[in-house]
Amino acid sequence: MTTPLLLILVAAMAFLATHVAYEWLAKRLLIVSGAEYLVLGVLLGPQVTGLFSPAALDAFQPLVILSIGWMGITTGMPLRLSQMVRIPAVTYRLALVESLVTIALVGAGATSAFAYGFQLDQAAALVPAIALGAIAVASTPAGLDVAFGGRRRSIPVLQQIEVAHGMDGLMGVLAFGGLIAYLHDATPLLVRALTTTEWIVVTLGIGTLGGTLFHLFLGNEESPDRLVIALGGAVILASGAAAYLDLSPALATFVMGVILANSLRRPGPVTEVLRSGERPLYYVLLVMAGVSWRPESNIVWWLVIGHYLILRTLAKLWGTGIVTWLNRAQERVGLDWGRALIGQGRLTIALALDYSRRDLPYGEVVFTCAAVSVLFTEFFAARFVRSAAEPLMLPIEQLTATTEAVAGSVTETMTHAIPGFLRGDRDDRHAPDEDEAPVQAERAADELPEAPPSTRSSEDR
Amino acid sequence: MRRLVILLLLYAVMRGVFALASESAGAPTLMLFGFLILAAYSVGELAAGIGLPKIVGYMAAGIIFGPSALGYVSRPALVELTPVSNLAIALIAFLAGAELQWKEIRERGSAIVKMMSAELVLSFVAVAGTLALLRGQLPLLAQAPAAEVFAFSILFAAVAVVHSPAATIALLSESKANGPVARYTLGVVLVMDVAVVLIFTGVLAAARALVPPSGGGGGVQVGAVVWEIGGAVLVGGALGAAVSLYLRFISRELIIFALLIALLGAELARVLHVETLLTLLVAGFVTENAGGGRGETFRHAMERAAAPIFVVFFALSGARIDPLAVLPLWTIVVPVVLVRILAIWGGIQIGGRWAKVDPAVRNNAWYGLVSQAGVAFGLAAVVADVYPARGESLRALLLATIAVNQTLGPILFRLGLQRAGEIVPEQRSDTT
Repeated sequence: MTTPLLLILVAAMAFLATHVAYEWLAKRLLIVSGAEYLVLGVLLGPQVTGLFSPAALDAFQPLVILSIGWMGITTGMPLRLSQMVRIPAVTYRLALVESLVTIALVGAGATSAFAYGFQLDQAAALVPAIALGAIAVASTPAGLDVAFGGRRRSIPVLQQIEVAHGMDGLMGVLAFGGLIAYLHDATPLLVRALTTTEWIVVTLGIGTLGGTLFHLFLGNEESPDRLVIALGGAVILASGAAAYLDLSPALATFVMGVILANSLRRPGPVTEVLRSGERPLYYVLLVMAGVSWRPESNIVWWLVIGHYLILRTLAKLWGTGIVTWLNRAQERVGLDWGRALIGQGRLTIALALDYSRRDLPYGEVVFTCAAVSVLFTEFFAARFVRSAAEPLMLPIEQLTATTEAVAGSVTETMTHAIPGFLRGDRDDRHAPDEDEAPVQAERAADELPEAPPSTRSSEDR
Repeated sequence: MRRLVILLLLYAVMRGVFALASESAGAPTLMLFGFLILAAYSVGELAAGIGLPKIVGYMAAGIIFGPSALGYVSRPALVELTPVSNLAIALIAFLAGAELQWKEIRERGSAIVKMMSAELVLSFVAVAGTLALLRGQLPLLAQAPAAEVFAFSILFAAVAVVHSPAATIALLSESKANGPVARYTLGVVLVMDVAVVLIFTGVLAAARALVPPSGGGGGVQVGAVVWEIGGAVLVGGALGAAVSLYLRFISRELIIFALLIALLGAELARVLHVETLLTLLVAGFVTENAGGGRGETFRHAMERAAAPIFVVFFALSGARIDPLAVLPLWTIVVPVVLVRILAIWGGIQIGGRWAKVDPAVRNNAWYGLVSQAGVAFGLAAVVADVYPARGESLRALLLATIAVNQTLGPILFRLGLQRAGEIVPEQRSDTT
């Protein structure tokens, strides 16, 4: 069987799995599937069956880069300022400190692990260690989506977890993009050698130009065809330009995502198009990651990997606990919300694959750390989220039920006393804009999930 | 104005990126793909603004940014982007098949075959005769014996009779034309596409018998041709059935599924050595007619998925055109193009009267048959493979002729649809 045919069949299988297995597993067993494609990739690759040759892998580099870019833009799209300003500052403080603690702890631990394990000096160990720190901070939002869907996000602990996912993505992509810019040593053909800061500016510029081109291209027309062409063209151009200049495609498209999220009046259709490609591309990325994986039986490798897993877990669990306690926010979000950040997924794989494909120092070790982490944690990401959030949600749900009962009783009394009371109330409401609509819908779902039967009957009347 | 700003910005981006690239930078394939989507689409809209079909604009963008002018899309990049062209051809074939409905084939099939036969015979004889007459202008044939002149003339004519399903489908999608002229033109183009595989194989065998190629490469066996056609029907049928089942039982995420099916069909055809276009054509036909009423939804999803691919496909076709290479051959290219157009017109007139079709169809369908593109390029490459020394200059002549037909064809097709009244004014205006 030829490599392209094989890849197409794998993609077709991944695609079907996205909509059959993924949803089934997620709903019934609360499992986030995906990591198994990494195993499938290993089985297809040179390590086991050899169906994918290293040369064939090179031919698929454009697809890999596009997938990395896609993960970047999907990480940037949720950062919509108009929605973010409604969230309390303490939520961001906790998320930011948690991210920094993870990067610092894993980075410092990995520096000593690399230095000790591979007999390197501290400076040489710093590059793979920072890469590991950037990769370690990323956590998958898939667990939250599977465990709670789009509902109840106004509950403090869920809001905290959601914000932390966004912050982890931001910090991971920034740190990784900065590292890649720092490591950029090739001299341009036509201009002088650029500094790290200038390369970072170039990366951000590519993302900004991608966003600008998208807007110019789309104009006032919002036909779906035009949207697909504008978005596809801009994402492909930004990812391709960043990769061609040896910069981080994830950072360039992340910036583009933030620009689109904050400049579009209605980002919904764009998010929809991006979401439709996200899972299939992630699965393709996982398969390619598995194929290109070249693990070694060297014991030092596995010590570094074990070191990474332990440090990352500790950073997420204790880092969040300590920072929450220091900010006296334990009543609001509890001390265990860090559990919800243990799961790693698409961004982790994208960054790790981007690092290893560049032939940077210890790329295989860094990639193996990420792959093993995804393999062990993504399956249970939803369960981690649930175990972190449920204890805090029980009292809220009990309170909500009591409030609902009281509200129902008062509403019924008022409706009997003042005919048209509910109708009048409804007429006075104004149509919400897109930003308000989901919040109101969430509130309705959270606070008034079901009107009492007596109220509904009076409304019907 | 906005389009010009986009083009200027894209130009600046590309200049900047190429200036910042290092010597060790890899191939910019992905970046060029994204660039061509945005740049060619913008040029296409500029073309639509002055009343030209968008695909002329896409091709113009290819010429402007291709190796003949600005050189952003270099010759190695053209090779790197070949999979995009293959995917586009697969999508075009599937969409063409999905346009055919069983009821329509029963109603119009006989008339289409009659029109195609008359047009094919007349075009083939006229083009072969013209080249034989003008042999003095071509160094390849100037001193050649009669058998060689005959062999190369019929080979040239076998490629010159080919139409462009890609341009036809793209223009019909763009203009949303669906009247009798559009349907008959599409029918003739598609039937010819199947017939041309047989004709070219027969002509190549005859040419090889008359002028044996040095080294004896490029042999064609009857069994292989039978499998190429028959196998394509079988594989396409199976693929179409699989798509129909998907539509019946799952029917979700159709855009991505459509791309996967086109890729899978093209790769299956390549691996099993069956005719790619026919495979996808049959798959599209089966999906449309056995998809349990969901074929149309799938077709629309595929059209949406294909939109950026088509833009890049036509831009790449344009990038392959070298205007400077056409100029030295103008003394042969111009007469051949004119004779071909005249023969197409005559063939459709004769075939139309024979089939007793509406005079409006007879008078306007020929406009849509001038275009040439991907299939003709492929056949020209086969000629060059079989005759490595002499075939190369024949290929240069073929490419020059195809370049003119490729540019002229969409403009004429649009004119024909306008004359037949099948492009309504409001649909025309939305392309501007």
